[in-house]
Amino acid sequence: MDNKNKFDLNYFLTDASFENWARGINKNDITYWNNWIQNNPDYVETVENAKAIINGINFNQDYPSKEKVNEVLLSILPEIRLDSVSNKKPAYKKKSHTTLLTAAAAVLLVLISWTSYSYYTNDSQTVHKTNYGEIIDLKLPDGTSVVLNGNSEISYDKETPRLLHLKGEAYFKVKPIPSTNAKFWVITNDLKVEVLGTHFHVNTRKQKTNVVLDEGSIHLEFINGEVTKMIPGEMVSFSKESKKIIHKRVDIKTPYALWRGGTYAFNEIPLEDVMLNLELTYGLEVQYSSNELKKIPISGGIPNQNLKICIAAIEKATGTRIINKGNILRVLENPIY
Amino acid sequence: MELHSDETIWYFFKKGETNAFSILFKKYYPQLHVYGLKLSNNQEITEDCLQNFFIQLFEEREKETTIKNLKAYLFVSFKRRLIKQLQKNQNNLPISEAQLFKNNFTFSAEEISIHQEIQFLCTSTLAHLINNLSPRQKEVLYLKYYSGMSSADIAEVMDMNYQSVLNVLQKALIKLRKSSENQQIKNILKKS
Repeated sequence: MDNKNKFDLNYFLTDASFENWARGINKNDITYWNNWIQNNPDYVETVENAKAIINGINFNQDYPSKEKVNEVLLSILPEIRLDSVSNKKPAYKKKSHTTLLTAAAAVLLVLISWTSYSYYTNDSQTVHKTNYGEIIDLKLPDGTSVVLNGNSEISYDKETPRLLHLKGEAYFKVKPIPSTNAKFWVITNDLKVEVLGTHFHVNTRKQKTNVVLDEGSIHLEFINGEVTKMIPGEMVSFSKESKKIIHKRVDIKTPYALWRGGTYAFNEIPLEDVMLNLELTYGLEVQYSSNELKKIPISGGIPNQNLKICIAAIEKATGTRIINKGNILRVLENPIY
Repeated sequence: MELHSDETIWYFFKKGETNAFSILFKKYYPQLHVYGLKLSNNQEITEDCLQNFFIQLFEEREKETTIKNLKAYLFVSFKRRLIKQLQKNQNNLPISEAQLFKNNFTFSAEEISIHQEIQFLCTSTLAHLINNLSPRQKEVLYLKYYSGMSSADIAEVMDMNYQSVLNVLQKALIKLRKSSENQQIKNILKKS
């Protein structure tokens, strides 16, 4: 029932990847939306209308020429100078004035670029979304940095930029605001993270939410009402379905947050779990020629931004052969080994 | 490439910098000029009004305290001023905006180019179809695709809510698509 309202015109119009599809400019987006439309035939009309709005009408703009604009400007400048203090100042003074404007403008521009993400969005809701295999760095209006992994989404209301919803996987470096002690929240399907200022990692894939804390301290409030506090180096998993809270110590230097730099690092993790990461980041399906293959342990770093290199690295680490056909990866035993 | 963001320009404009005035003027005079022409169909009134508008903007710069979006603000206040002027020229008769702008936003074939989806139409036919839309639809199309405004800005300029802007856009484009299909059928029938 919610879904019906979710995919309205605005949903498509505010999605950057949809816009790419409508303009036919990004191969990934084109494939993604072509599939999406095939799977959601009910929305064909809305999609068509959204596409028409994006493409619109091509006008050949016919603005007055620069010369004409300058002419008019010169004719009215004397009128406004009468009103301005700088009017009777000698020429050299006016010049130093100009430099001041440029310098101050530069400083101001830097400040503005920090907050410009939510500035010009159409709605009160700001959404950042990544495609499969795409990792982006974001700076939120409050100064918090977020690294958003592939196939993930964060959204927040302009009014409350420190209250985020997360789907997928992200790493947060929350900027503390000591003057007001303003808190920062991340909400997932399973829990709510409450933060003062810290570095942590949230992963909502695999029907559960994992939170890993790098630095500082955070509170978690689970969907079932339970509350817990985390210490640095700890990982907490929770899922609505199992209702089980698992605390685990992790080596924060290696495995969990490394994808930020473009690598997945694994320490004796079964192939099946590693491939699950690929399934979710790239939107693939993985099949195995035997169940034995699923259990092969992997240690080491695997580059995650290029699927081909990623597959080659896994093949090498496990001694298997992986065939990529369409969107299906088939894992086979390698006869050479 | 834009050297100065609207926030920067406006900040110094408010401080009374004549440089900021020039920058703002050069950036927005052309856009407002065409917008005024489309609204009034009268070059003289548009140009007079626009010059006075900029002068007044500078003189009264301290009054305007909270401007979230400069472009939308300029469009909407210039439009208001232009309407006032046009009403004055009609001997102050209370003429509604709709009446005043009955024939506004007319487009010529030269102003339109055709993209792939409606290739089979010539520009003059498309211009004709656009000119037959309602004034409101035409203004929204103009602001969106001629002035390159975001739907949120348009909402501000047209004093509508965001969702209605989308609805107007959608209706206008559906109407265009339908009538261009009809036109296409007519053309085929004529030939045979």
